[in-house]
Amino acid sequence: MKLAILSESPADEAALRVLVEYVLGAPFATVQPALRARGWPSVEQVLPAILRHLHFNTAADGLVVVVDSDDTVVHDDPHEAVGYYHPLCRICRLRAVFRRTLKNLPPAHGRSAGQQKVLRAVGLAVPAIEAWYLCGRDTAVTETAWIAGQASGRQPYSRRELKWRVYGTERPSLPFELRRAVQEVSRHQGDVRRLENDFPRGFGALAQDLRSWRSAAASPPAPAPLA
Amino acid sequence: MISAVQFRNFKALRSAAVKLGPFNLVIGPNGSGKTSLIQALLRLRSLAGLPAAHRHEEPPPNAAGPELVFHFNPPYQNLHVTLACDTNDFVCNLLVVDHPPGLDGERQWAGLRARLLTIRAFLFDHYAMALPARREDGAQLASNAGNLAAVLAARREKFPAAFALLEEEFRRLVPEFAGLDFRPTPSGQIELVARTAANGGELLAADSLSQGTLYLLAILTLAHDPEPPAIVCLEEADRGVHPRMLREVRDALYRLSYPQDCGEAARAPVQVIATTHSPYLLDLLREHPEEVVLANKQGNAASFERLSDRADLVELLCEASLGDLWYSGILGGVPGE
Ligand SMILES: [Zn+2]
Repeated sequence: MKLAILSESPADEAALRVLVEYVLGAPFATVQPALRARGWPSVEQVLPAILRHLHFNTAADGLVVVVDSDDTVVHDDPHEAVGYYHPLCRICRLRAVFRRTLKNLPPAHGRSAGQQKVLRAVGLAVPAIEAWYLCGRDTAVTETAWIAGQASGRQPYSRRELKWRVYGTERPSLPFELRRAVQEVSRHQGDVRRLENDFPRGFGALAQDLRSWRSAAASPPAPAPLA
Repeated sequence: MISAVQFRNFKALRSAAVKLGPFNLVIGPNGSGKTSLIQALLRLRSLAGLPAAHRHEEPPPNAAGPELVFHFNPPYQNLHVTLACDTNDFVCNLLVVDHPPGLDGERQWAGLRARLLTIRAFLFDHYAMALPARREDGAQLASNAGNLAAVLAARREKFPAAFALLEEEFRRLVPEFAGLDFRPTPSGQIELVARTAANGGELLAADSLSQGTLYLLAILTLAHDPEPPAIVCLEEADRGVHPRMLREVRDALYRLSYPQDCGEAARAPVQVIATTHSPYLLDLLREHPEEVVLANKQGNAASFERLSDRADLVELLCEASLGDLWYSGILGGVPGE
């Protein structure tokens, strides 16, 4: 399987590679060069172009996108209803971009009939990816705690505090950030149940999308090789 | 080091003030005072090298002339330094120091003065960096880094551990190279060469290296200086560097300002004042708006504002990236059209 990961930094990408492999249960190849976005809302703006590029110019089976929720609405079960779209939820918004963009793309040469469309995997790190890194190590850091904080107007922690808890500084160097990211997600040793339990909406949505790929991955490979 | 500067009639800074932190990224249009801020610090360094006057000894300065007042962080919080002008040519030529009375005050000023004399400002130039340099010019990086070869050669000799760390970082940032070396030129100078990781370690002369490689190398040279200045000013910090590599530029400069964050708590922090026109570099300070200084220009007058003083910043950042917000003009710090 070949996929693309759209992330904000090489450290985020490295952690996502580990987690995606855990969920898919098999190694995968990635498109080169690696995709980068400059955070929200740049991700949303650049996503249609990225999907178009992946569709026509690469053999990517799917695209993984994970964004930080910051202080926005966290994706919820009612959002999953057919035809529902929450304008302030970043998962709903990114899914809408996938839908809109892929709907209008004509078939690409070299893509198999069974898998004409680039597959979607969208996740939401609540409030930032460092929360996922702390999963299982800092029991106070969960989606439930964050959402309760949003409701009461008193957040249990800030993005800066999460950084501090993961890196011991608010300003980690990139190699250190990368090392810590991989170290923390590797603690799960292939089992993402704790992450799905503590981050059911943001990580759960990502895992659900990725699992839906497994059947797609079983389809025959594209007839003509692409980059 | 310097906690704040007040400006009066100093170039476009007619009546302005700026608070400074350990790391400061100054953004704004041309002529908004970014360079004037750096020139003010260089003036402070120059005048600190001359015998200082004390408040009571001085004739009253030219009231219409420029005046700069510097305030400092502990342990120098009780000292103030004023640069003024007692002539009609409107150039600061006078340093007046206010320090606590007695020997202790004198000692404090001596300590501060020694630090001020180390202030350095840089605007790197890749043409100059690529040239060979005289070996004896390697004591201190020149403002355009034109003596890069000599500085690195001297560092390898005198501070091999610091050089090794720098070289390791260089290999990480530019993985096509395995290391740095030096060779004499026929004219008796020293030339910087980089050893390629492939092709059997081929030696590439500095003038064959990419601009970006040279700029990164100059920034690493600053960041890994074993005897760093108290204050480093770096103009156009993003110069020649790919937007994806700007995180490394930021981190290298953070290394100077926040030594404790890279496990070097024993090293004295270096105050960094960097300027940029890159929205991509600015994006990297999204979590630290207190580190961003907006330089604004209204008519002929310039002023400074801290990004963290912007009350609605958190809400704005939900709608757009910091770089885009700046470009749009709603933060200020853009040219008048
Ligand atoms: Zn949603």
